[in-house]
Amino acid sequence: MNTIRLYLHSMRMLIRSQLQYPASFVMQTLAQLVMQGGEMMAVILLVNRFERLNQWSAGDLYFFFGLMSVTFYLTEIFGRGITGNFPFLIRTGQLDTFLVRPRGVLTQVLCSAADPRRITCVAVGIAALVLGCRMSAVQWSAAKVLLMAEAILCGCFLILGLFIIEGIFCIYSVKSVELVNALTYGGRSACEYPVDTFPGPLRILFTAVAPFALVLHQPGSVILGKPLFHWPEWTAFVSPLSGFAVFGITWLCFRRAMRFYRSSGS
Amino acid sequence: MSYIHVLNLEKRFVIREKRKKGALSREKKTVHALQNVSFDVERGELLGYIGPNGAGKSTTVKILSGILTPEGGEVTVGGRIPWKERKEHVRRIGVVFGQRTQLWWDVPIQDSYDLLKEIYRIPDADYRKRLGEMAEALQLTELLRTPLRQLSLGQKMRAELCGSLLHRPDLLFLDEPTIGLDAVSKLALRDFLKWENRQYGTTVLLTTHDMEDIVALCPRVMVLGHGRKLFDGTLGNLLSRYDTVRTVSVRYEETEARPVLPESVPVQRDGGSLVITYAPAEFPTAEMVTLLQKAGTIRELTVQSRNIDHLVADMYREMDL
Repeated sequence: MNTIRLYLHSMRMLIRSQLQYPASFVMQTLAQLVMQGGEMMAVILLVNRFERLNQWSAGDLYFFFGLMSVTFYLTEIFGRGITGNFPFLIRTGQLDTFLVRPRGVLTQVLCSAADPRRITCVAVGIAALVLGCRMSAVQWSAAKVLLMAEAILCGCFLILGLFIIEGIFCIYSVKSVELVNALTYGGRSACEYPVDTFPGPLRILFTAVAPFALVLHQPGSVILGKPLFHWPEWTAFVSPLSGFAVFGITWLCFRRAMRFYRSSGS
Repeated sequence: MSYIHVLNLEKRFVIREKRKKGALSREKKTVHALQNVSFDVERGELLGYIGPNGAGKSTTVKILSGILTPEGGEVTVGGRIPWKERKEHVRRIGVVFGQRTQLWWDVPIQDSYDLLKEIYRIPDADYRKRLGEMAEALQLTELLRTPLRQLSLGQKMRAELCGSLLHRPDLLFLDEPTIGLDAVSKLALRDFLKWENRQYGTTVLLTTHDMEDIVALCPRVMVLGHGRKLFDGTLGNLLSRYDTVRTVSVRYEETEARPVLPESVPVQRDGGSLVITYAPAEFPTAEMVTLLQKAGTIRELTVQSRNIDHLVADMYREMDL
């Protein structure tokens, strides 16, 4: 309980400190809007040209795009410490200051940064979700709302887990390893589209290794009424939990890796 | 058993060198940051830790504070092994890194302290009392609503110190706390550390390059070089071996006055006065003064011992550091 309070307290403070530079904040927020708007344009162009992709209609594609955007950028707003700052903390030795406090290292890393500028990216995602739901005429029910919330929450943990992998490499190599970006940012860009549009190897990658398909696409497809892989609907409530599993595994690896932390400078 | 117990401490770093032209793999080099370092510290001691850059001072502090895991040796602080029981251990210690801030940059320092209160789970009443007391002792009361980035270096260091002591640690590590501070800030910082040590019996372990810190604060000093402990005792003992030379500066009423001195004693002219360097062990000061008086009427005379930094430099040189 105390950890959650600490986290909320930190977030309040971090967001307040971002707002210390209002002009910069507004500019950067707008820049994010342009960036994510551009990504959305790509989907719009695709939909204009092809109308559908396999079994997915234009509305479905907007829906998947929105689902990924909301999940990914929520993670970046609230998990910035892991998604962005961790290599910096290692390289500068700033992590030392976390190690001398009686709290978990990851907890403190999460509490150390927030990125409220991404709020416009989330807004674009919500717009895409709303648009997608209307175009595909989604019939909402309590179960579907719950499923959506679960997918987004588990998706956040999945993305955090993938970024932790980068952190683990960072502990060993001090400098960040761009290779892992293939899973994180690559995963984001690819999995804005449902997984069955990809060839076999990528499908396996995004189902078994970085399970965006299980966490986002499976529940998403059930909400749209077109279950992916033709699995029964109830599995959509179970499969997102793989996001927690990824987070749990990488979290354990991270704890082990911290023993090799070498610090830096004086 | 002593409060801090260190036995045969060893820490190695593997450094991978730049790849040579044509070679496929990079060569690895092992650097012994610490070798066979042993010492004990009792509760309430003020211990200074000196040594040239790269001697292993910070590495020792990092091991004692649970940041690094050593390759060999025993370490306990208050009966706990720092890197194994990190959370329990760090609850009882405070650490100030001279070159690394622990507070939040863009928010008033009071907000940083509020967050530290949460992190250390300090009860409300205790927190208010302690913050009031510390803010007063460190002259921070007026600054509590100022963001950290607007503070001067001296104010920042005081703010850091306050932050690291809010949870009433038994043991305080200071890694070069006076680096870059002006004279007033340095003196204030030293006074405060003495006060905290006396008032609460806080054990203080401090690394520094500023010998004045050691003179002012630490009855006991430890010298580290090339990862080995070279000396452990009082500063007086350490320096008596090197503190062998005095300098006399003398000015006569008569400008042409020239004392007659043994040939082994060098005399230099510095403006209107003569500067004479001699070793009192071979040439007692009383004898020197008698000779000087014979040469004329002395207007001014000062005897100085050498600057402590020179002594330390001599010591490092002799120890081949």
